[in-house]
Amino acid sequence: MLSSGKAVKVSIYLSEGATHHGASTYSSILDFLFFRGVSGATVLKGVAGFGADHHMHSANFVEISDHLPMKIEFIETREKIDELLGKLEEMVGSGMIEFQETTIAKPAQVSKSKKAPVSEHVRIEGKAKLMRIYIGESDRWHDQPLHEALLRAMRANDLAGATVYRGILGYGAHRRVHKEKPLHLSHDSSIMLSVIDTEEKLQAFLPLVDQMVQEGLVVLSDVDIIKYSHRAMETGESKE
Amino acid sequence: MKEQFQGRMLRIHFTEDDKWQGEPLYKAIVAKCMELGLGGATVFRGVEGFGASARIYHARSLSISKNAPVMVTVIDTEEQIQKLIPHLDQMIEGGLIASSRVEGIRYTRPE
Repeated sequence: MLSSGKAVKVSIYLSEGATHHGASTYSSILDFLFFRGVSGATVLKGVAGFGADHHMHSANFVEISDHLPMKIEFIETREKIDELLGKLEEMVGSGMIEFQETTIAKPAQVSKSKKAPVSEHVRIEGKAKLMRIYIGESDRWHDQPLHEALLRAMRANDLAGATVYRGILGYGAHRRVHKEKPLHLSHDSSIMLSVIDTEEKLQAFLPLVDQMVQEGLVVLSDVDIIKYSHRAMETGESKE
Repeated sequence: MKEQFQGRMLRIHFTEDDKWQGEPLYKAIVAKCMELGLGGATVFRGVEGFGASARIYHARSLSISKNAPVMVTVIDTEEQIQKLIPHLDQMIEGGLIASSRVEGIRYTRPE
C-alpha cells in the first residue's frame, strides 16, 4: 500500500465511447486497476473537450454524444506503475496516458490487504488446468452478482476465457435444492463458471476466489489444450 | 470455512426426456445423490447436441420438444462417488459417464 513520500500520479484521457474487447474502455481499465491491487482510482467525466482528432465534443445535445472526454486518475508507486503500464497502453488504444511526479502528504487508510500481482498473459498449449466454480445465482459480492464479479475479476487478471453456465436443477452444501423456474421470476439457480488456463495463472487467481466466494465449490482438473486461438479484435475508439 | 480435498468428478450425459420409474432421470439422479449424502449435484441443459443415437437436438425458441441434452455433474471424494456408480449403472439406459480426478476446495458458510 502507499505510504507518505514520492509517488506517481497517472492520468489517462480517453473518450467515453471508446471500447476495449467489446466493453467500455474506462470500465475495463477500472476493473484492471481494481483487480490488480491498485490503491485507488477515480473516473472523471468531462463536460466538453477535444483530443487528437481536433473535434470538439460537448454535452450540449441532451446527452446524445458518447464521445465526451473521460479521465481516469490514480496514484501508485513507480514499480507498480511499471508493472501495469504495458497492459494499460494496450487498453487505452488511441487515448493518452500522462505521468506526474507527486508527493503523498498523507496516505489513505487501508481497510483490505493487497493481492499478489499476477503474471502477464501467456499463450497456453498442451497441459493446462480446468477450473470450475460452483456457486448460487443469488450469491453476491459487494453490490453485484458474484458470478459477474468473478467473471470481471478473471477478465481483469487476463485469464484466457471463462464461461458461466446456469443449472436447471441442483443442490450443494446446504442441501437446498435450486430449481429453474419458468419465466425467470426466481434467480436462484445453480451457477457454474468454467475457466481454462495454465496451472500458474489459475493458482495466482485462487487467493481472489478465496476472498470473493463465501460458499461454494471450486475444482481443478487436468486438461489438454487441443486448440486455443482468437481473432484479433479492434481496440480503441468505437466507430459509430 | 475452507476445506481442500482430492476427489472425483462425474459428468453424466443423457437427454431431458429419459425417465427412471416415471420421473425425469436427471431428477432421479439428483435425488439419489442427496439420498447417498453426496456433497452436491448440478444439472445443465445443453442448447444443441447429439449422442450415441446420433439424433441432433436444437434448442428452438418456443419449441415444446423436451429432448434436450442434459449433463449432471457430481463432485465428491473417490469413495463417495464409488457409492453412486452402481446406482447409475441401473438407472442409465442410454448415456455416457465421464469421470476425472479433481482437486477440490469447498467453501462453506456457517449456518
